Amino acid sequence: MKLDPSILARIQFAFTVSFHIIFPTMSIGLASFLAVIEALWLKTKKPVYLQIYKFWLSIFAMGFGIGVVTGIVLSFEFGLGFARFAQMAGPAIGPLIALEVLTAFFLEAGFLGIMLFGLHRVGPKLHFFATCMVAIGTLVSASWILSANSWMQTPAGVAIHDGHLTVVSWLHVLVNPSWLHRLPHMLTAAYLTASFMVAGVGAWYLLKGKHQQFARTTLGLGTAFAAVLIAGQVFIGDILYGTMLKHQPSKMQAAEGFWEKQSQSPAPYYWFIVPDQDHQRNRFELGIPYLGSIWLTHSLDGRVQGLKNTPRDLQPRMGMVFYAFRIMYGLAMVMFAVGVASLWLRFRGKLFSSRWFLWILAFMTPSGIIATLAGWYVAETGRQPWVIYGVLRTVDAVSPVPARALLSTLIAFVCVYGVFITAFLVFAVRIIRRGPGEAPPHAEASGSVKNAFRPYVLDNPERLVNGHITQRS
Amino acid sequence: MELPLVSACFVAFALTMYVILDGFDLGVGILLLFQPAAASRDHMVDSITPTWDGNETWIIMAGVTLLAAFPVAYSVLLPAFYLPIILMLLALGFRGVSFEFRVQSKHYRRRWDLAFAVGSLVAAFMQGLILGGLMQGVTVQNQRFAGSVLDVVRPLPVISGLALAFGYAVLGGGWLKLKSSVSLQAFANRSIRVSAAVFAILFGVACIYAVKIQPGIRSKWASHGIALACLVGLFAIASGMLTMTKKTRPAVPFLLGLFLFVVGISGIAVIVFPDIVPFSVTLWEAASSSTSQTLVLVGAAVVTPIVLAYSAFAYWIFRGKTPERGWEA
Repeated sequence: MKLDPSILARIQFAFTVSFHIIFPTMSIGLASFLAVIEALWLKTKKPVYLQIYKFWLSIFAMGFGIGVVTGIVLSFEFGLGFARFAQMAGPAIGPLIALEVLTAFFLEAGFLGIMLFGLHRVGPKLHFFATCMVAIGTLVSASWILSANSWMQTPAGVAIHDGHLTVVSWLHVLVNPSWLHRLPHMLTAAYLTASFMVAGVGAWYLLKGKHQQFARTTLGLGTAFAAVLIAGQVFIGDILYGTMLKHQPSKMQAAEGFWEKQSQSPAPYYWFIVPDQDHQRNRFELGIPYLGSIWLTHSLDGRVQGLKNTPRDLQPRMGMVFYAFRIMYGLAMVMFAVGVASLWLRFRGKLFSSRWFLWILAFMTPSGIIATLAGWYVAETGRQPWVIYGVLRTVDAVSPVPARALLSTLIAFVCVYGVFITAFLVFAVRIIRRGPGEAPPHAEASGSVKNAFRPYVLDNPERLVNGHITQRS
Repeated sequence: MELPLVSACFVAFALTMYVILDGFDLGVGILLLFQPAAASRDHMVDSITPTWDGNETWIIMAGVTLLAAFPVAYSVLLPAFYLPIILMLLALGFRGVSFEFRVQSKHYRRRWDLAFAVGSLVAAFMQGLILGGLMQGVTVQNQRFAGSVLDVVRPLPVISGLALAFGYAVLGGGWLKLKSSVSLQAFANRSIRVSAAVFAILFGVACIYAVKIQPGIRSKWASHGIALACLVGLFAIASGMLTMTKKTRPAVPFLLGLFLFVVGISGIAVIVFPDIVPFSVTLWEAASSSTSQTLVLVGAAVVTPIVLAYSAFAYWIFRGKTPERGWEA
């Protein structure tokens, strides 16, 4: 079999970026959650908030670490796999990412050490400041990178002369047509991810009858956030849908599963299709009648535009976009139902005792991550065959690296990242099983404010006997 | 306009920050290989844990500034060093996650320490390999990389890789002498002396080899006083480090190590200038348009002082000797 470098470069980028985005999604959500929890602790002085903080901090720290090391890979991979893209787009997206590093990465990194290890040394107020700086860093970082990615989706503000790109207006590059809708969409997704993680772990403890106070607090907070956020997300998603329909119609055509230029009227909403890209038709399709017209055209008999509106050689693969969209949208609907149910149960005073609901929440723990990943698959596979929509095709962007080198590094990435995710899951499950308050590795503060204010202990030479260091517990 | 020159200075600044800051982190990681006592390894890792992430961020800064300001150089150099860069990234990955994972695992901490140490060693070696590859020259045609990804598997890059690993070990030893408690002082002194000696030998071999294969380097050393002065200075500092004993003040070897690297990088900068892809593409040929350069430089001018201020603050919070029971105790 002959290996195609462009396919391998794409698989490698897709694999490494998919793996990476899991962790920032968690970090963005959890960092803000931790800031809220620490604020509640400072305000109420209730020990349960410090317990929640320490528990989720240890999972946050692991996820953040993996996010950092897999993120560095991406900042070089533009050139490793897609040198032609880097050369062309560098003048536009390079400065955005450089500003991301300056204003976000350094901020996160500078205050992360204080957040993880500094409680004793700086006291709770300054420590809270550090937590807030890390949380703000994650938001600023998301803003820049979403701007860069949105520019690839809806490029603006540049002039191109014989393959060389010059920025004409930074304002238009930065505030390109899709950024203002995609940024809140991603941030809400990250917050939903954290909300469902936090609520899911709380639900699991309640099902096991353990750590009642911790579990009730986190489940209560998590479902409250989730109920508000999912309502907002449905609204933002609808606006974004309209934006992308206008600027990148091929993506939304592929997402809905219709081929003909105008679908039948009334249009069904497909949930299952077997697309046949070669013959430009579906071999099988299953949907709910009328719903397509109602949802997509907001009328009873509206017609939906199919993928044949886009010339064949400029079409994305329908199957990928369609199913990624179905997973994201399906999960959003389940989340919406869970949000409504949580409000109803809260109103009835049964939020912590309805076992069926607790089971659903426990199963929903990773739902935000899956939905976010699926959403990114819609965004990125739906943009194909372009890497910069309408400007540069992905096949023309690939580096002069032989296929064999690409294949061996792809295998290496899969193996190494496999170790990372396995270790992360093993340790996260262990932390969750061990439960809060059972000597988490980070921020082993005793809990009282007085102790946290204690001046830091300088190295104490008396503790050394014959150069022997006391074993750390 | 001299914007590309200013941008190149910022790239060089970010790279220098990376090399000296993550250099001592990687050096401490490499020295873990030679530390049999588990408690001492904990102490060594604790000394770099609170600040490693910020140190590593400088390499991203250098990389994306290259992308923004010199897209041609970025798109030539990354494919040229495809293999060592990916191996470096994977090794840095192992090193980075080990900070967290080793704490989580009592039973397998030894294995995560090994991952930490080998990750540090491989990352350091690959960085040296890339440096050696740059010094032997990169094949470029029509602003694209036209050589083979295996061009780096040659003697000069390999010797440079080993030399840089020992150079980082010198820095790591200096850091340990500065930050560790009494129990590790002897280990730190020994590490500095041995690493400095091996570094000086390997570096000498690399220089002789470089002069043989790269006329660009030979002519620079022959014609340029500063380049030659850097070379002599480097050997002087390295031999000075051989005299470090337990009586030496704790900060001296670390500061000498920093000086060693700053002199080394200056020497390289003089040799490479005015190219950004050594001996084939100049700064000006590789530069992006002035709008892109301006945005990066204005951003850097405004934000870098703030970054340096709070990074220094983070170091100040964790100042003094590293507590033997870890930062949380």
